[in-house]
Amino acid sequence: MPRSVVARTSLSILLLAVVMGMVFSAIASWRVRAAEQDRLIARVHELLATVENTVSIACFLNDATLAKEIAGGLMKNRIVAGVTVMAGTTILYGNTAGTFGPGRGGELDNVSKPIYSPFSPGEQVGRITLQVSHAEIEAQATANARYTVWVLTLQMSVVAAAVALLVYLLVTRPVKAISDELHKLEIRSGMRLTVPSGRRKDEIGQLVVDVNALMTRLTDALDTERDLRRAQEISERRLQLVVDKADTGILVLDELGAVQSCNPAFMRILGPAAQPGARLGALLAPHGPAVDAVIADSYSSGKPRDIDLELAANDTRGAIWVELSVNSLGDTLMQALVNDITERKGAESAAQELASRDTLTGLLNRRGFDAALAKLLAPSRRQVRAALLLVDLDRFKQVNDTYGHEAGDRVLREVACVFERSVRRTDTVGRLGGDEFAIVLGGIDCPEKAQEIARTIIDGISQPIDIGAGLKSHIGGSIGIAFAGNPPESPAGLMHRADRAMYAAKQAGRGRVCVAAWPAALNSPAGDATEHDDESDAA
Amino acid sequence: MNRILAIFFCCCLLAHGVAGANETASIVVIVNPASGIEKLSRDEVIDIFLGRYRKLPTGRVAMPIDISNPNDERALFYKLLVSKSPAEISSYWARLVFSGKTSPPFQVPDARTAVELVESNPNAIAYVDRAALTHGVKVVLEIKR
Repeated sequence: MPRSVVARTSLSILLLAVVMGMVFSAIASWRVRAAEQDRLIARVHELLATVENTVSIACFLNDATLAKEIAGGLMKNRIVAGVTVMAGTTILYGNTAGTFGPGRGGELDNVSKPIYSPFSPGEQVGRITLQVSHAEIEAQATANARYTVWVLTLQMSVVAAAVALLVYLLVTRPVKAISDELHKLEIRSGMRLTVPSGRRKDEIGQLVVDVNALMTRLTDALDTERDLRRAQEISERRLQLVVDKADTGILVLDELGAVQSCNPAFMRILGPAAQPGARLGALLAPHGPAVDAVIADSYSSGKPRDIDLELAANDTRGAIWVELSVNSLGDTLMQALVNDITERKGAESAAQELASRDTLTGLLNRRGFDAALAKLLAPSRRQVRAALLLVDLDRFKQVNDTYGHEAGDRVLREVACVFERSVRRTDTVGRLGGDEFAIVLGGIDCPEKAQEIARTIIDGISQPIDIGAGLKSHIGGSIGIAFAGNPPESPAGLMHRADRAMYAAKQAGRGRVCVAAWPAALNSPAGDATEHDDESDAA
Repeated sequence: MNRILAIFFCCCLLAHGVAGANETASIVVIVNPASGIEKLSRDEVIDIFLGRYRKLPTGRVAMPIDISNPNDERALFYKLLVSKSPAEISSYWARLVFSGKTSPPFQVPDARTAVELVESNPNAIAYVDRAALTHGVKVVLEIKR
């Protein structure tokens, strides 16, 4: 098939016409032939009917002359090959192929008709027989059929040519023109297709109008998109500048915490190891699990999450504190902000240290000790094995009054050293005020152990203390012990019990250790809830 | 006066004849008594009058006589005999003119002449209304409706 739509449609129409013409011709030829044969046979019968009356007279009168006249007339028809007229058994006239002169050839068919008397219809007076030439009938029928086919073919050809021409003029040529124009059209030029003249209202015109509308929309969309892209580029450049110049580490993570991209500040903070592709959890070791948990939490909740992390020193930097903020960016991406908060953390802890320490002894002050105790006895902890020791110094007031505050301060510092020597590093020692101290012993399994430590402390502080200028002070101490219950009671309750035990120890005489009774509601882990004074080691 | 009566009589006769033809029409075929023929069949009459055999059964040549006057005897005769109208009979003879094999019956102007001809000619054979019969002829076939 040719590629041109014009040639293709024309060829298709002509081909269709030829095929249909052949089909119709075949049908017509067949029908016409059959009809023509029938018609010729009918014509023979009509001929017979025409001459019947005269034949009847000829037979009635045995009139050979009349019969010959009739036969002569009949023989003028080409399909009649021969005529025989019989009057009874006598042949009035006979002209057949075999007997009377040349017949019209070919196979012959006899069409015979009995002849009755013109005056008495019941009386048969003769018979007329026509010999019909098959070949002649065939020839005539074929000629007629051929003529029909010829006319049909001519008509079909003319119609096909007319249809092809019309289709070309009305459809294919305008379509081809539009196609050619479209082919040459540049989308940006704002050029439009021209509507073929007189076709504004029909489908071709509609097609052109639609294509024009489509092109307008397309160019508009392109312009809009170009403007948007330019605006976005500017915005992105501005943002990139901010990100690049920021002091905060800014990075994009996927939902599993792998770094997709990061800014220079991030690498500055974490060192050269912070390259895209690494897992943030691994970069922030040993806080990997916590970081992963924060990322997962923010991802699943869609809310920002913060965590402060202390990073140990490595080859490239010292120990630092960072604040990690994780935000969901939508989709599966997360944004993480990393701020170096080392300075702030340092300042914070310094301030806290300052606030919770006793400046003279370096022990926790009242506030710091209360906080430590509260932490130890937090309601969330189910079991605490701890003992609270309250220590009150004996005879300290005399030292202060006799040798002055400076000597008092030296005594207090020495006592603090004794405390710190007597307890483990994990135990907490605080100066509650004046000459009153408190100690929390953690991990105490039995009361005896606490009492032993208490006695060690009393022994320690009962030693003479050098207060300068060759002078030594002799002080002592009384200790009240209260054990943390299970579940732990409030810090105030424990403190109160220890205070009462200490008071009891003081009442009983200096240098004593007194263990507080268990509150009625609580069970003692040691099984003994009675208050007793331990005086065996009194100083 | 006689003449007037005669005309009147004739008129009555004619009227009777016409009436008879229409109601109890009866045409008789007559021959000369000397012909020796007693009876003729209908087919024999047809053959003779329409030219098939122009012979009497006795072998004598037959001379059929047609009445050509406006009287309707001829029409009645052919109608009763072969169910043909006078025009059809004329057409019949017209077709045979050229062949020369046979000829139409001899024409006489009226029944009276026909009767006279039969009376005088032994070959003659004619048809008349029964009312026109004379003693000089012999009826060989009566054709009724």
